[in-house]
Amino acid sequence: MSRRAAAAGSQSSLREANRVLVVETVKRYGGLTQVELATATGLSQATVSTIVRELLAAGVVDTANTTRSGRRAQMVTLARRVGLAVGVQVGHRSLRVVLGDFTHEVIAEQSLPLPAGHRVDTSLDRVALLVVDLLERVGATLEDVVGLGVGLPAPVDSSTGMVSVAGLMPGWDEVHVGQVLSKRLGRPVYVDNDANLGAVAESTLGAAREFGDSVYVRVSHGVGAGIVIGGQLHRGAGGTAGEIGHVPVRFPGEPCRCGNSGCLDTVAGATPLLGGLRDSHGVLALRDVVQRANEGDQRCAQAVADVGSLVGTVVAGLATAVNPQVVVVGGELADTGEVLLRPMREAMRRHVLPNQLVPLDVVGASLGTRAEVLGGLVLALQSTDVPLRVDADEVGLVEQA
Amino acid sequence: MSSDVPLLSMRGITKRFAAVEALVGVDLDVHAHEVVALVGDNGAGKSTLAKMVSGVLAPDAGFIEIAGEQVTIPTPTAARGLGIATVFQDLALCENLDVTSNLFLGRELRLGASRDDSRMEQIARQVLRDLNSRIPSVRSPLSSLSAGQRQSVAIARTLIGSPRIVVLDEPTAALSVAQTAEVLVHIERLRDLGLGVILISHNMTDVRAVSDRIVVLRHGRNNGTFDAAAVSHETVLAAITGATSAELTPRSLPPLSPLLR
Repeated sequence: MSRRAAAAGSQSSLREANRVLVVETVKRYGGLTQVELATATGLSQATVSTIVRELLAAGVVDTANTTRSGRRAQMVTLARRVGLAVGVQVGHRSLRVVLGDFTHEVIAEQSLPLPAGHRVDTSLDRVALLVVDLLERVGATLEDVVGLGVGLPAPVDSSTGMVSVAGLMPGWDEVHVGQVLSKRLGRPVYVDNDANLGAVAESTLGAAREFGDSVYVRVSHGVGAGIVIGGQLHRGAGGTAGEIGHVPVRFPGEPCRCGNSGCLDTVAGATPLLGGLRDSHGVLALRDVVQRANEGDQRCAQAVADVGSLVGTVVAGLATAVNPQVVVVGGELADTGEVLLRPMREAMRRHVLPNQLVPLDVVGASLGTRAEVLGGLVLALQSTDVPLRVDADEVGLVEQA
Repeated sequence: MSSDVPLLSMRGITKRFAAVEALVGVDLDVHAHEVVALVGDNGAGKSTLAKMVSGVLAPDAGFIEIAGEQVTIPTPTAARGLGIATVFQDLALCENLDVTSNLFLGRELRLGASRDDSRMEQIARQVLRDLNSRIPSVRSPLSSLSAGQRQSVAIARTLIGSPRIVVLDEPTAALSVAQTAEVLVHIERLRDLGLGVILISHNMTDVRAVSDRIVVLRHGRNNGTFDAAAVSHETVLAAITGATSAELTPRSLPPLSPLLR
């Protein structure tokens, strides 16, 4: 929402604040009746009714008739404009789905915890059902969806939508993920690597928006990177560009899922990280480590910092090859902020070719842990050919034929 | 964490109903900040064990310790006093009341002689926010909520009165995927708030998604305890169906506390 500054305390600033409150509330719940909006915001029915009318005229929200407890009611949702897109992120331990429109405004989202080593059939079934459930939540149908962008934690051959390196996601490398989902949902599905999607999102909407050349580094259960050159995502011939989790750093090292040994993932991935904390802290989940590091637990913070140094050394090599203007760091561990970023930045300063003209910046992802799933949304929208004439101030939008 | 004293520790729990051996020498530990899944076939004794934790049934033999102190839990009120909150399968909510009234059912806050509605609403909002719940208004009547939202209310109700242990009996049965997702996120949230959670469920995908340890019961006996992040689906199923027995699977229960030895 763009907010023009009005004098604080004035009538118009109050109305503007209320308008923002209403929009934020609708966004949070996906769809609400006007009565529910009044109770959820604490505003009077009359105020809500006025604001909804204004927002409707400005094309910000849509209204539809519905029933609640047997009574007629006005359902308020964010305007769907020309169509909806779906972003999906399949992670090692969770699934995220967002619905958004062509303004990149997220109108509904839900995450779902997944078991370790989850099965491809069960998880894709859950993706399909979750998408339909979320559409229902905002009063939309599959017809409204222009496409789905799906991120996987493995390199993906984007022309076939299949995992391009066997062994990284056991069971998934045999399955044509894009085809399974597009057959099931009847909509176009675009599959890509999760770090690539994070790179797309951060370079379109986030911290790398102002730069042509950027690298997005995802530090989560595994480590990956997405490379943007001249504003375009560089996937590589087989989709494995930026797979820094499989750069060898230990000789000889532990065997890796990819078949090599000593890969970055074998020393900086979740398994060695959690394994190293097991004696002192017992069994932890990755988000426990983040929570504890943020609460000042020294051992957890040190473990995260060690990951930062290791990843920074490898990213320095990548940065020397690509020479980006900025390195954006996302993934769950980036939620520790400087705990991860400082040692990573220091390792990069030591190892990257110093450039006085364009110093390299290392920053946290401005979209946080939603970068990848939003990248899925952006990918689906970018892959859809719709001549757009959407403007927030424009009233009466033309539905595409 | 495993090094701490468990929040809840049950040892040698035995319960008979006439000729039926519902539970025989069952052990169960739950730590703070931990989700323990209790799985097993129908009639394996999961709900019987949960009812003992929540004070509905008393064991014929065995000990229960809360934070290292031996206790008896004769009634549900006693359980609540010990910081144990339970969500049963039927949820036990009132259709005709709003969300706030349901959260405080039987525990209404008073201000002098009357109900302190504004404070109850304030706490209700706080609790729903703690859970990241999607219930739009604390004044919505329960009858207007979906099955998933009702489950949210039932879980939120356990947070009233700051419990330490929450028992959830089949919380995702009969829910859509989106509603299941919300409930599982709530369970993760309870764990992150530092509570010990006992999760009873038939759905192995849900169980392995959110639990830290999986305790298998078979014919009223322990038949294995597994690290949920490391164990395979097949291994748990094998323990449930009896293809493997407890003698063959490593047990990761810590030794008895000195008090019980």
